[in-house]
Amino acid sequence: MSGSEVISRLKRDYIYNLMLKGEREDGRQFDELRDIALETGIIDKAEGSAMVQYGDTQVMVGVKMQIGTPFPDSPAEGVIITSMELNPIASPDFEAGPPREKAIEMARIVDRGIRESGAIDINKLCITEGEEVWMVFIDVHVLNNSGNILDAASLGAIAALMTTTVPSEREGKGEDYPLPVREMPVGISLVKIGDEMLLDPTYGEESVCETRITISSNQDGSICSMQKSGSGSLSPAQVVKASKIAKEKGEIIREKYLLEI
Amino acid sequence: MSDKPERFIDDEGLRLDGRRVDEIRPMKVEMGVLSRADGSCYLEWGNNKVLAAVYGPRELHPRRMQKPNEVLVRYKYNMASFSVEDRIRPGPSRRSTEISKVSGEAFEPVVMTQYYPGAVIDVFAEVLQADAGTRTAAINAATLALADAGIPMKGLVSACAVGKVDGQLVLDLNKPEDNYGQADLPVAMTQDGEITLLQMDGHLTPEELEEGLEMVKKGCQQILEIQREVLVSRYGNEDEEGEEAEEESPEEVPDSEEEEEERDDSFDNEESEAENADENDVTEEDEGEEDERQ
Amino acid sequence: MKRKIVYPGQVLSENEKQAGTGTYVHEGKVYSLFYGVANDKNRVTVVPFSGKYIPSPRDYVIGYVIEVTSSNWIFDIGSPYDGLLHVSEYPKRVDSSMMRKEIGIGDCAILRIKDVNTSMKVELSMKDRGLRRLDEGRIIDVSTTKVPRIIGHNGSMVSMLKKESNCDIFIGQNGRIWLKGKDEDMNRLTQAIEIIENKSHTSGLTNHISAFLRYEESDEIEEKEKPVPFTSSKKDYTEDACRKVDVLLSDEDEN
Repeated sequence: MSGSEVISRLKRDYIYNLMLKGEREDGRQFDELRDIALETGIIDKAEGSAMVQYGDTQVMVGVKMQIGTPFPDSPAEGVIITSMELNPIASPDFEAGPPREKAIEMARIVDRGIRESGAIDINKLCITEGEEVWMVFIDVHVLNNSGNILDAASLGAIAALMTTTVPSEREGKGEDYPLPVREMPVGISLVKIGDEMLLDPTYGEESVCETRITISSNQDGSICSMQKSGSGSLSPAQVVKASKIAKEKGEIIREKYLLEI
Repeated sequence: MSDKPERFIDDEGLRLDGRRVDEIRPMKVEMGVLSRADGSCYLEWGNNKVLAAVYGPRELHPRRMQKPNEVLVRYKYNMASFSVEDRIRPGPSRRSTEISKVSGEAFEPVVMTQYYPGAVIDVFAEVLQADAGTRTAAINAATLALADAGIPMKGLVSACAVGKVDGQLVLDLNKPEDNYGQADLPVAMTQDGEITLLQMDGHLTPEELEEGLEMVKKGCQQILEIQREVLVSRYGNEDEEGEEAEEESPEEVPDSEEEEEERDDSFDNEESEAENADENDVTEEDEGEEDERQ
Repeated sequence: MKRKIVYPGQVLSENEKQAGTGTYVHEGKVYSLFYGVANDKNRVTVVPFSGKYIPSPRDYVIGYVIEVTSSNWIFDIGSPYDGLLHVSEYPKRVDSSMMRKEIGIGDCAILRIKDVNTSMKVELSMKDRGLRRLDEGRIIDVSTTKVPRIIGHNGSMVSMLKKESNCDIFIGQNGRIWLKGKDEDMNRLTQAIEIIENKSHTSGLTNHISAFLRYEESDEIEEKEKPVPFTSSKKDYTEDACRKVDVLLSDEDEN
């Protein structure tokens, strides 16, 4: 899944054989997360921001808001635009240039988690129906890819949104107010190895496993978005199992990190 | 900040942020922050937040870009879309392309390019938050990232800007001074005071230029001192460490003797005599190479 | 000066005759080329803290195949320069069509560097004793600048590692280390090598590691610190450094 980079057979075999024995290279259980760190409000120039670490993986998310025109088919709704760049600073495999399919897919997965959960009340982002609405730009900046940048990006996005202030004053639209966030979706990814699923894969594990599933769940445990990615397949039972893990782990992350904000 | 202040320097000679005219903003540095990069450095300077990473020397594709006898230093300056007041579109702009070019060239005089012919050293400088002086902040971080990556250099590069407000020269412009000042002159320097980057816009008299260069040289020296401090203190107190490790110090030096031993050990068993004869040659060759490197 | 941490451009000696590896001479003075540890025996040398492996003839390296052409295997040898193993340098005759069967993409091998030309074309050989494809065991990566420390003075460290861990070990000059043994032994050995890498500047390391491998010291590798975003680091050199700078600069002025 890490692209075209060749990885040495011994390294591959090592990771693979470990997983067959129920072990992982960093000693974690299959359903164990790496240590997570989250910090918000780090970029004063952004309306909201967050820095997330999943082990050595580091992702920064910034939220900017601007006034724009609504889409004709939703004249009273604000607009959410999520971008993600796999900058070459983050990995020797990332190349400079416009986002390719992998980056675009990930940006859309993050976007769907936010959008479909209804985390942002887009009706409240209308200034003048049909003319002026707030546009919310969520920019994901990957700084170091040590695996599972997707979940780090999802957590960063919702955390940044929760700390976002709508800059009304700057735009001459009255007083600033906190962005109305009413849901806290958490995205959880697993990769498949044989019949087993690994939570929060490292870079090495991603390169050995061909299939990933990402599931975003809400506070009430309902699922708001999913994506299967990669060249392998999943059984329906695996999808169900993954959804249970996603719900359980999503709850832990929400309680430990998001409710703290 | 959108309105131009009436005065930039008060009667006591203090600037809007309380600095004297020849004072730089506070700087905070942390090295080795990215695990995937070969070298990295995070630097805050005033309200600027920049991150620099080095990858390489590594193979350069396409081949036509390779320099047959030296390494290519490729520098990419990039601003995060949320780093400024008005969101900027991701991807390179004409401004960032120009800065990338001249910043890369600022390192060419110090990087020992003959060491890795045909390869490339990639330097990525990400501006996470911009607040006047991002190109100089990025260069200061990039120098440390290059050192962290083990790149051979004649010395460090330090960068700072000098400018003019209220008809007076000031070191290291802040945002209002940058926006409304009468001149901006960013400079990068080697430790010997050789200028490796210079740009200027605005208006300066020849006398002001001369004085400004003197001032910016002092600024670069202050930054160089901070960079040295960061490098030397990173692994704890140097003196203590030196003493403690002293007795075993010969093991650290990669001299040819040890390389032989490894060969012996690795291959255990058979014909160690033939191997030994072989290795004496290696010893000589290795020393020859040592000499060349001086 | 004994051993100390130095940075690129630092003056190490006023006597150019003392210039050793990792240094350069400018107007009669010796300067450091690297960020690393300077050592002052007969000459001043600097060993960088990190750096990429640069191939040198006769080195033993561990590589893996990234491409197979009609007459060459191309190996990644952990360097900016890939290595070419020409089919004639393989221990037996191989028909062009059978090359992938013999060593395929991703396969690992112990190789020797036969030659490096001026444009850094690296020719490999597998014809010497001990050179072979690696089908079992594990490969771990260390910084190439730490290789001498892991070998130890006269091979003291590597012999001890081998003896105490019950594993086969091969250390490539390019920082790749091959291990073969029981899983738990390899795990322990991997940890031991990590300790050597991280504590390469401390004394008594050979004894310490030996005890570690015999499980005599409960000194497990230090628990990994919980991640803290670098954006929140409290390290602040500024005030202190600035004060020092002021002093320094005023000294200079007086001179």
